Amino acid sequence: MKTKYLNTLAASVLLASSVSMASELPKDKVKSSTEEAQPTKVTQEVLPVTEVLESIPSPLEISVLIKENGTIYNKGDMNAPDAVSRYNTTFQKAINLGIYGTDLGFANIYGKNQDAITYLNSVRDLADGLGIGAFFDYETIKELAESSNRLDELIQQTTLNFEKINNNLRERKRENVSVLILAGGWIEAVYLTTVVNSREPNDLLKDKIGDQKIVLDQLLLVLDIYKSSAGFEDLINDLTALQEVYDEIEIEVIVGEPTMEEIDGVLVVTDGTRSVVHVTDSDIQKITSLLKSIRNKVIK
Amino acid sequence: MKKIFLAFSLMFALFTLNEANAQCNAELYVTKSMKELNPGFQFSKSYRIDGRNGTRRKIEYTCVLAKDTSYQITISGKDGGAQGLISTLYDAKRRRIISSFYNNRFLGTWTYKCTSTGIYYLSFTFKDSKSYCGAAVLGFKR
Repeated sequence: MKTKYLNTLAASVLLASSVSMASELPKDKVKSSTEEAQPTKVTQEVLPVTEVLESIPSPLEISVLIKENGTIYNKGDMNAPDAVSRYNTTFQKAINLGIYGTDLGFANIYGKNQDAITYLNSVRDLADGLGIGAFFDYETIKELAESSNRLDELIQQTTLNFEKINNNLRERKRENVSVLILAGGWIEAVYLTTVVNSREPNDLLKDKIGDQKIVLDQLLLVLDIYKSSAGFEDLINDLTALQEVYDEIEIEVIVGEPTMEEIDGVLVVTDGTRSVVHVTDSDIQKITSLLKSIRNKVIK
Repeated sequence: MKKIFLAFSLMFALFTLNEANAQCNAELYVTKSMKELNPGFQFSKSYRIDGRNGTRRKIEYTCVLAKDTSYQITISGKDGGAQGLISTLYDAKRRRIISSFYNNRFLGTWTYKCTSTGIYYLSFTFKDSKSYCGAAVLGFKR
């Protein structure tokens, strides 16, 4: 039923790439406390592919959370940089470019410069293999990685370079490659979170894993559009199975009014609305196990 | 024949010049906006604001924002700083959360302390703008 619904939704996205339409989304587990008395259907505009892609948050946000959680850097958790030679098809190259992108960001955040350079080489190889190497400023990033005191600039430039790659792919109507890069980046970021959480269970990480329900829904919306392309069907099936586990997770939204104040010329708004993720240890275990198997298939 | 060639050359030159004027080099403003992020905020995404010489009045992006995270938007445009540009954040139900046009001023930077993970809409509009061109940058910190 859900797959059928997603298919319809994805077809609508294609047909209405620039026309706004209203449609129901299967967000029955996302509820708002102010609406309990009078249940209403959650509606959202059907967005063009590019907009859905742009909505997906940077894996860097999760990587920063992992570091700030006090987690010790463990290179063994990430994909082996020398596995790059195993990726021969466009599908494998694109999804692993996303995975290595997250690993590169992770090494950057921890200031592991030598590892960052190794991952940078893998990223360059895959980007070249996809014909988008020209949009990745390898030399500048390598120079920044070799410098011990330019960490912020390094992270900034790496993020910007991935953005340039994705913008270029979309301009050249190669959104399918862009979707895979984003999917790979997301899989690796959430996988790393589950690994760290398995080692040292933590409510913050548990919450973050549960929160990914929203991002996964977005990802599947765009992946489904390319389901006839090589490699996509298996990935969609695997992520749909993961989505079924996520369907058990409820995100409760308690609506409140925002407050604002001006601090040193900067307007600061604190939201009064808050969300509560109702996720059980059993949900987390299932997600951890499924995500590991999905990642293993992708990285080989 | 020579006159026709010259006329075509002139028309081509004028067309090219006009196109160049109409173009919005948003990249330039991404760099400017990145420099305006307050210390502690990590660059996450950039947003191009190209009003195509006034033919596009509103440019909107969708984003997933996470709870317990502070987001900062910095904006800069061709009219100088945030002049002529307004950024507005809406939640999934299109409720307006924040607007950078505040007390009749164009604010170049604002911070949003997010407490609810979800889909948000970030829109950019123009007010008395002469150029319809700029960019914004999203930064985050935990």
